[in-house]
Amino acid sequence: MKIAITVLLLAAGLAQAAEMGTVLRAAELKQKPFADAAKVSDVTAKAAVEIVQRQGAWIQIKADGQVGWVKMLNVRTGNSQAKPGSGGGGLGSLVSVFQTGSSSKTQTTGVKGISKDGLKEAQPDMEQLAKLNGMQVTAEDAKRFARAGKLEDVKVDYLPKSADGK
Amino acid sequence: MRKLILPLLLAFAAPAQAWDVGKLIKGLETAKKVVDANRDITEAEEVQMGGELAATLLGAAPLVDDAEMQRYVNRVGVWLAQHSERPGLPWKFGVIDHPHVNAFATPGGHILVTRGLLQRLRSEAELAGVLAHEIAHVLKKHQLSAIQKSLGTAALSDIAAQYADNTGKRSAANTAKLIGGGKELYLKGLDKEDEFEADRMGVVIAARAGYNPYGLVGVLQTLSESASDPGLGFLLETHPMPNDRLDRLDAAMGERMEELSKNVDNLPRFSKLRR
Repeated sequence: MKIAITVLLLAAGLAQAAEMGTVLRAAELKQKPFADAAKVSDVTAKAAVEIVQRQGAWIQIKADGQVGWVKMLNVRTGNSQAKPGSGGGGLGSLVSVFQTGSSSKTQTTGVKGISKDGLKEAQPDMEQLAKLNGMQVTAEDAKRFARAGKLEDVKVDYLPKSADGK
Repeated sequence: MRKLILPLLLAFAAPAQAWDVGKLIKGLETAKKVVDANRDITEAEEVQMGGELAATLLGAAPLVDDAEMQRYVNRVGVWLAQHSERPGLPWKFGVIDHPHVNAFATPGGHILVTRGLLQRLRSEAELAGVLAHEIAHVLKKHQLSAIQKSLGTAALSDIAAQYADNTGKRSAANTAKLIGGGKELYLKGLDKEDEFEADRMGVVIAARAGYNPYGLVGVLQTLSESASDPGLGFLLETHPMPNDRLDRLDAAMGERMEELSKNVDNLPRFSKLRR
């Protein structure tokens, strides 16, 4: 029994760790997350990849046994065939089963969340609103918090719909 | 002779003038009503009505009882809001106790994220991306306009005036109308274009506040990756598909924000909070 649970937990752990994705456009797989870093290999468009981690504008992937970095926006994650809320199949559903099963943090199946059931019936809770209002922090407090995290102001304009200005 | 004419003239003039003035006043009142119905909702009204809608969402899922977590999220949120065109709104941020992944904004600067969403974020920059997206909805008054559209501009102006008076004279019918309109909106979701706009603005607001603008990109990739997770059902029903949103961001961002990706990504205080 103990072994069975351990094996299942290991399987769940692996399933959760493996984030899968697809490369959109052919690109160079870079050794480091920089444009001028050395090339590891070439990745073809539509290549299925495993995601390792993210840094800045970059994402580290494993493709054809090679590990390297491509631009984050050049990768789409997940299984495009999976329908939202359907439970899907394969690794995704295994993760779901485990999250609903043992971990109280994320048990959810069957409930449409704060949606249909909860929200339709909800009545304003003025005590909770007062609590929310009471949590407000000042701009000064937020500024101190930002300085502690070495967050620096940057001047950036809003973006048009497409990068070529259209 | 003159003396006689003058009173006569006055006698004729007075009622004529009174009649004209009466008509004029009546006309002005009608004009004022038309202007009132189409007037802008004031900031005070926006905050009051948004509060009622936030209270309704909180009625569905209450705040997580964790003062440290709530303060942290408020600090990130208010810092972001200082980099927007409405820094002076009474911005309030709350984590609500629900395992599903979702986030809500109500008019006037009330922003709620679920515990389930917070748990799936990788970094403070990802949290900033989510909060900045919600802040953008408030800046653009997306929710307010949608409710105005569904209830009618004149009806919402009436309701808003009652909220602004704050005299306790709110009619139950008007409050019910507002809450009904709000629920309908949050169950249905905003226009897709509003969501794409909030994404585009969100990455910029996060970058202005010193965060890696790719935080929101990471969150959208998480949503896409776990699209079959039932905990995302409601969010995906009420938003464009994450990959569509990523395609739009891809087109808008291009390479122009890559330099800013050296901004702050994560901080130990985020990991400490998630323990």
